[in-house]
Amino acid sequence: MTAAFDAFWDAVDADLARIPMAADLQPLPLRSTDAATTYSVRLTSIGPYRTFGYYSVPTVPPPVPGLLLTPRYGSVNHIPDYMDRERYAVLQIVHRGQRLADQPFAAAYPGLLTLGIEKPETYIYRSIVADCIRGAEFLLSRPEVDTTRVGVQGDDLALITAARRSGFRAVQVADLLLHRLLDTSQSSDDYPAEEINDFLRAHPQSRPAVRDTLAYFDPIHHAARIVSTTLFATSGDTLEPLRGAIGGPAETYSLSYKGAVDHDWLDSWMAHQLGAQPRSRFRVQV
Amino acid sequence: MTQLRNPAEHHPTTTVRPPDFDAFWTEIMATAERIPLNPTIEPLAWRSTDAVDVFEIGYDSLDGVRIAGWYCIPRQIQPPYPGLLLVPGYISEPTLPKSWARQGYAAVGVAPRGKLRSNRQYNPGYPGLLVDNILDRNTYAYRGFYVDATRALDFLLSRPEVDATRIGVHGSSQGGALTLTTAALRPDAIACGAAGAPYLCGFMDAAALTHSYPYEEINEYLRLYPDREPAVRVTLNYFDGINFAPRIRCPMLIHLGLRDDVCPPETGFAVYDALTCEKVLHTYEGSDHEAGVYWETPRIEAFLAQHLQPAAALVRA
Repeated sequence: MTAAFDAFWDAVDADLARIPMAADLQPLPLRSTDAATTYSVRLTSIGPYRTFGYYSVPTVPPPVPGLLLTPRYGSVNHIPDYMDRERYAVLQIVHRGQRLADQPFAAAYPGLLTLGIEKPETYIYRSIVADCIRGAEFLLSRPEVDTTRVGVQGDDLALITAARRSGFRAVQVADLLLHRLLDTSQSSDDYPAEEINDFLRAHPQSRPAVRDTLAYFDPIHHAARIVSTTLFATSGDTLEPLRGAIGGPAETYSLSYKGAVDHDWLDSWMAHQLGAQPRSRFRVQV
Repeated sequence: MTQLRNPAEHHPTTTVRPPDFDAFWTEIMATAERIPLNPTIEPLAWRSTDAVDVFEIGYDSLDGVRIAGWYCIPRQIQPPYPGLLLVPGYISEPTLPKSWARQGYAAVGVAPRGKLRSNRQYNPGYPGLLVDNILDRNTYAYRGFYVDATRALDFLLSRPEVDATRIGVHGSSQGGALTLTTAALRPDAIACGAAGAPYLCGFMDAAALTHSYPYEEINEYLRLYPDREPAVRVTLNYFDGINFAPRIRCPMLIHLGLRDDVCPPETGFAVYDALTCEKVLHTYEGSDHEAGVYWETPRIEAFLAQHLQPAAALVRA
């Protein structure tokens, strides 16, 4: 990408560096078990804006492997899975606008995907990426985390986070949204990609600006900076150019569309990368 | 003693049907009927296309809570249209049902209380909804939530472009639950329903079989308050899809993932057993909460088209 791209993201890093994280952990007895203690965590990101996360630590002697979960596209993120909480120091980031981080800004669905999209500097994803990077900084700074065994899991946000912060051993991604978004939106009226079509119907003259903005957030332009082992869970071969652009080792898992089969394979992959035991969510015995 | 699970063969339930179950819901529905719907419908030109007109809608529901939704109708097909009520999952927001409108339906995507745009007066959060007021059936979260879905049906019935004899309901997970409850609470008006991986069926059995959310909310609550389990069971029996099932009269399609950790398949089989209407069951080995949607989607579309006869389907035939 261009020098402008590098300057744009360096400016995000600089903005983050100027603002103390001011982490505030509060234990959540309701969400804790004998096997793991779960906390709410508040972190300050650029803006400044106070974001939210669920952070859970297994009740075993440290250090433990770490796992960062980037937020989904939608208003709600679940508390990390019970099985993950038993194995990893795991942080589920909740970006600004989502529930629990929706004061003073509450995201609209549909609506978030095109908020400020006419300029990369005003696009909401500049701040959302910063929120994810702040989460990475928090997790990688925790004394109970074995910083040689930290993974990140999610969609495009996981890739961009891994590109902006070294320290991840493994990256696992599925359900990419921002990659080739302008192209994929043209072949579907399914949301959230349809938000782009809606916006361009109302503002047809903005297509070049939208294309320019989205380029800053397409993980293909961040891929060369990712040196972690990266796994794409996908179908077909549409992600091959992206996989080929990753700076480190990159693998592909071909989805079977059988959710439990896919979950167990992907869980095992991440567990292997981080030195943990694979777990299935479905109990085969009662 | 531990044993291997075989959900299809072994799916006992601890759900009990309270003797006053029907009376409880008859009274609630009568209360709701006395509340004027006060529907609003605002065109959203910038979200509309050559094929679909999109509207933002609103209506009043139980306790005076204002409910939001999206409404999409076909632009290139003449009315009347069959109606389709699309009910959302636990953490998802209702999407704009453009693709269903393209298939010939007048489709509503509803946001029951607590979801975005319907949370000004009631907002228990996620997690939170499942256990909100769980000790009191008269104020439990799903009392109003279930009614909100039935009021979306009333919205469809208020529309002149909708054929009132051809209205279906469809959703998965919590949407699967709402498919069952809506068909049960309004058996006069629902022509068919398709429910995937239905949630809110066999609540306590499910919570005992999984640590996945949302049912884990019940486990968390009872870890803190173990003495409240009997009271929780009493409440949940009034809201259990297994107890609603015998009231349903229209054809129903159920599909399940046989390794679903979110809504254990045992509870899906239990509610299927409890249905006394015309019914069909599709199960998927190796599937979890997606319940085989990759293969099931065309089967759902065919099932709904068979019963609701959208013009687009007639053209294709």
